[in-house]
Amino acid sequence: MSLTRRDLLIAGSVVFSGVALFSPRSARANDEALDLVKQLTGRTATVSDRLHLIMPTDFPTGYTVPISLDIDSPMTEADHVRQMRVFAPRNPLIEVASFNFVPQRSLPRVSTRIRLAKPQHVVAVAEMNDGILLMTTTWVRVATDGCA
Amino acid sequence: MTTPTPRVIVPNAAAKGEIFQVKTIISHEMETGLRHDDQGNVIPRKIINKFICRYNETVVFSVDLHEAISANPFFEFSLRATESGRLDFVWEEDGGAVYMLSHQFTVG
Repeated sequence: MSLTRRDLLIAGSVVFSGVALFSPRSARANDEALDLVKQLTGRTATVSDRLHLIMPTDFPTGYTVPISLDIDSPMTEADHVRQMRVFAPRNPLIEVASFNFVPQRSLPRVSTRIRLAKPQHVVAVAEMNDGILLMTTTWVRVATDGCA
Repeated sequence: MTTPTPRVIVPNAAAKGEIFQVKTIISHEMETGLRHDDQGNVIPRKIINKFICRYNETVVFSVDLHEAISANPFFEFSLRATESGRLDFVWEEDGGAVYMLSHQFTVG
């Protein structure tokens, strides 16, 4: 079998999209965030796509950056989110807020506004009723320091 | 510093089991304790450190706030309508001051 130019291009694009999917930057961010959560809580979190952390990727001011959190959970007694915590690892004080939910009574969904000192990966950690920690991160670039 | 004034947007009624949205805000400067005055002294921290929402005396949602919550803390969250009664919203400030609002709610 001889390799044509087309074969090479297809092979190249497959490799390239693979690299993009597992980009070193987000992989490293997740590793750093997992280490941070381990330090702060003494427990190991799992990266999960059940957590949705929605923030603008670029924001002009660090004083009032919008943040929305949402977790896929039925919120029954047997399966619910106890608490969701937000960390800003590049802020002078890392801890941002903890949100406490009640099964059957509140949805694991909240929006607020936070301060960011510099561009960074914001970290959200959800503690489920069985004690499992789920984690996600998102990159936010702010143009001004919101903690000065 | 202006007196903190809480405000809440919440419906007056909902069907049993329905999810309804609550929006709350309190005007508050949220002094982080990281700033210095003209003499170089640290301006002491004074933030709202706790927000609690009670539904007929039962806590249904709460927040522990730290320095990185923006000034004039705003929260939007969702509750399930279970029975008619009173919703209480409580903001606790460093130093012990408490700000409150109540809202009558009908479940039809």
